[in-house]
Amino acid sequence: MVRILLRFSENIVEKPITSQIILELRVPINIITAHVDSKGGEVLAEVPDESLVKVVKAFRERGATVSIPKLIEIDSEKCISCGACLTLCPVEAITMDEDASVVFNQEKCLGSTCSACVDACPSRAIKSVKQNNSELTANKAH
Amino acid sequence: MKRLVESSGVEVAFREVDVVTTGTFGAMCSSGAIINVGHSDPPIKIENAWINDVPISHPGAAVDLYIGATAMSERQPFEYGGGHVIEDLVSGKEVELKATSYGTDCYPRAHVKTRLTKDDLNQFYLLNFRNCYQRYNCAVNGRDETIYTYMGKLLPRLRNATFSGAGELNPLMNDPDYETIGIGTRIFLGGAQGYVIGEGTQHDPQNRFGTIMVRGDATKMSPEFLRGASFTRYGTTLYVGLGIPIPILNEGLAKKTAIRDEEIFTSVVDYGVPRKDRPKLAQVSYKELKSGKITVGDKRIRVSSLSSLKTARKIAGTLKSWIAQGEFFLTAPVERLPVDSVFKPMRQTEETPFVANVMQEAVTCSESEAVQAIAERIVTRSVNHIVVVDGNGKLTGIVTSWDITRALAQGKTALADIVTRRVITAKLNEPLETASKRMAQHNISALPVIDNEKKVLGIVTAEDVSKLLGR
Ligand code: SF4
Ligand code: SF4
Repeated sequence: MVRILLRFSENIVEKPITSQIILELRVPINIITAHVDSKGGEVLAEVPDESLVKVVKAFRERGATVSIPKLIEIDSEKCISCGACLTLCPVEAITMDEDASVVFNQEKCLGSTCSACVDACPSRAIKSVKQNNSELTANKAH
Repeated sequence: MKRLVESSGVEVAFREVDVVTTGTFGAMCSSGAIINVGHSDPPIKIENAWINDVPISHPGAAVDLYIGATAMSERQPFEYGGGHVIEDLVSGKEVELKATSYGTDCYPRAHVKTRLTKDDLNQFYLLNFRNCYQRYNCAVNGRDETIYTYMGKLLPRLRNATFSGAGELNPLMNDPDYETIGIGTRIFLGGAQGYVIGEGTQHDPQNRFGTIMVRGDATKMSPEFLRGASFTRYGTTLYVGLGIPIPILNEGLAKKTAIRDEEIFTSVVDYGVPRKDRPKLAQVSYKELKSGKITVGDKRIRVSSLSSLKTARKIAGTLKSWIAQGEFFLTAPVERLPVDSVFKPMRQTEETPFVANVMQEAVTCSESEAVQAIAERIVTRSVNHIVVVDGNGKLTGIVTSWDITRALAQGKTALADIVTRRVITAKLNEPLETASKRMAQHNISALPVIDNEKKVLGIVTAEDVSKLLGR
């Protein structure tokens, strides 16, 4: 799966673009977070790797801006399990387990569009990294 | 020990347990290392020195240097600092030393630049003047914006909380009367054996905020227990791993070392208030802190630590195995830590100005008044800001002479159309310096002063501030 960040301007935010694309392309699009109001919308979604190009193309054709956010990673060598990042995460992607080790769940993480934890890490163990080749692939959709 | 005392009682625990080991691993800013770099040829009496661009102090003779944990790199401030230099040296990495001097007859050299590892140093001792706080505050932020502090990143309006310290594992908490801790106590320090060399600065035993000063051979230490760290917009520091073995000399110590997190309390403090004595919002136990949620008033707040409990446990465990294997011998202190020192605030011979010192009466109006009437008031009272209040004197907005001029030019007559409602304000007991900073930040020239109920008490203007602060 690849994560994509969709931005809808004021003019198109009322249109049912996402559902149209799901129906038309018969591709599962998993919405992770969505902030939408009358002034526009920002949606973080997940699509299967193999349908990335056609999905991105379809959104762009309908006037949405598509970008590929970077993934967040925690360098386990650098992480000292202090916990300073824990309370900053809006989706509890970082937790502390029984033996006081800090555990990161990349599935839950919102990616570089959030980054709330990054500047809170005293060890500078939290970094954003590119999703595998997906940026290149997505740009083929132009 | 804690479980044994609970299940079998103090007496049995005293008979069965010889030593209780403790540990903590957290940011300890008042840390550093003393190094001697040897003499160059021709020799130099170092005046200014940098290692990897971090300014290093030169408190003594020619080539003795002190790497302070909080000194920051000139090229990458806030990201790399003295703590990182110490970690790099401990890890065996090569660092770059640059030094300058004025040159003397006996030390003619004015510049030197070289690369060094820990093996090139004559002495490399960790020398920390305040470590191992017995317990520490829990921090929150009552302001409307995120703040970055030495207690980490604090979200606005109490949306998160942070704390520091290992609670029941903390060394000083297990011997709160310092029966076994003092000068000469051998300890775990940074992965090697070190010593307590006395009370730490700001040692405050009567309020259970004791501290220690420690020393240890850094060449034997490990980066696992000594880590450079960066606190965004605050600065750099050093995470220090420290553990003290407490010999169970009497039943009293058996009881004291059985202390649990639920018996250790600390205050939730609002770091959003820029004063020395910040408001304490609640009392919480380390048990609540470690549970991940605390309660302040009617709010449940997510809380997390800044120090590593995992590493603290590892330190206590390592110390235990060293003792069991006969690699570590306990020592009796030559002199115990004082139990009666007092932590005094700074004696200030110049008065610090507060908002209250320059605040003036605010010229106010109500929202139903006409623009014309306000214009007249601006002229007769010769002010630039009119504070808009409701029937109870509470702040609802602000208008400036500029707003009025523009409204008149555009033919607007209703005040409601031109009022600024998001008003930046000040508090009566706030230092003038922070109020003045806020004005500069928002590019405005006055702040209404309000109380906690938003009642307008007065106004402070940039003009009055510059008169007093002279800038
Ligand atoms: S980037 Fe955001 S969502 Fe991801 S772990 Fe950090 S705080 Fe949580
Ligand atoms: S703040 Fe950094 S070092 Fe601390 S637990 Fe999170 S990732 Fe690890």
